[in-house]
Amino acid sequence: MKRLAVPVVLVAAVLGVGLVAFLAAPSAPTSGAAAAAGIAADLRCPDCQSLSVAESRTAASAAIRAEIVAQLDAGRTPDEVRQHFVDRYGAWILLRPALPLAWIAPLLALAAGVAWLGWWISDRRTRPLPPAPPAPDAATRRRLADEAEALDA
Amino acid sequence: MRSNLRWLLLPALLLPLGWLLFVNIGADPRTIPSQIICRSLPAFSLTTLDGDTFTDADLAGRPAVINFWASWCGPCVAEHPVLLDVASVAGGSVQLVGVVYQDRPASAAGWLRRYGDGGWPDLVDDGNLALDFGVTGPPETYFVDADGIVRDRVVGPLTTQSMRDGLHEIGVDLS
Repeated sequence: MKRLAVPVVLVAAVLGVGLVAFLAAPSAPTSGAAAAAGIAADLRCPDCQSLSVAESRTAASAAIRAEIVAQLDAGRTPDEVRQHFVDRYGAWILLRPALPLAWIAPLLALAAGVAWLGWWISDRRTRPLPPAPPAPDAATRRRLADEAEALDA
Repeated sequence: MRSNLRWLLLPALLLPLGWLLFVNIGADPRTIPSQIICRSLPAFSLTTLDGDTFTDADLAGRPAVINFWASWCGPCVAEHPVLLDVASVAGGSVQLVGVVYQDRPASAAGWLRRYGDGGWPDLVDDGNLALDFGVTGPPETYFVDADGIVRDRVVGPLTTQSMRDGLHEIGVDLS
């Protein structure tokens, strides 16, 4: 049981850091304008590279921003508005993955790797030494002594 | 037994990674899968460059090719002869529709005068139709069957072959 203590502690530490980071993420804004800006920042500009809809000045992004405001004014929730665009562009349009799995999976892989490494190290430490070879008998010792003397001569 | 479990952990980690690599090795990361394929044509009502009103109801019961283009789009010049060829031989078997994407109507009309007006309706989009189709940039072409279901999409300039393949998807085979 003691051998598992190190990997278990390491895994718990890695998952703990991930959980704290997840819980410390900023919560959703409450005002309409802030909600619209937040959604625009979460959506990828469809006809630019590496820009959000909030950052882009293209007409497509302007149309998306207008649609976000229109949908929020119509009473839709931010999640429903995001889904509206996911239905048309797919999950590609989201700059942040909707499922936390994408964030958690690397942590889980790291935790599994750390656990495997800890298990391997603790197993090596506690593994019994291989049995010593049998002591040479009298005839072998005499033959070895003779060979050593012959080499020294 | 513990040792065997430990060595099973390694393939348990590597196999999913290998599977992801195998599945995505041939995928083009620039290609974004369309969400509208196998869905109904979105409802719309837009004005053409000629000032007429054109709605989705005008496409009812007839296969259609909907081409998003713009006068500032270089590849749109390259694909335009393919559309003109289809328009000249299709007769009434397929309806071509152009959608002017993020462009001024006057610029689009001038472009048609320069490169050839095939006579099909060109709709002036306020941006919402492109959003409903999930257009990422012109040229993009959608093939809609007679039941109003979007069956295929071509991103980038049309070629004779991609046009033929798209038409085949909507039940139109031009000789």
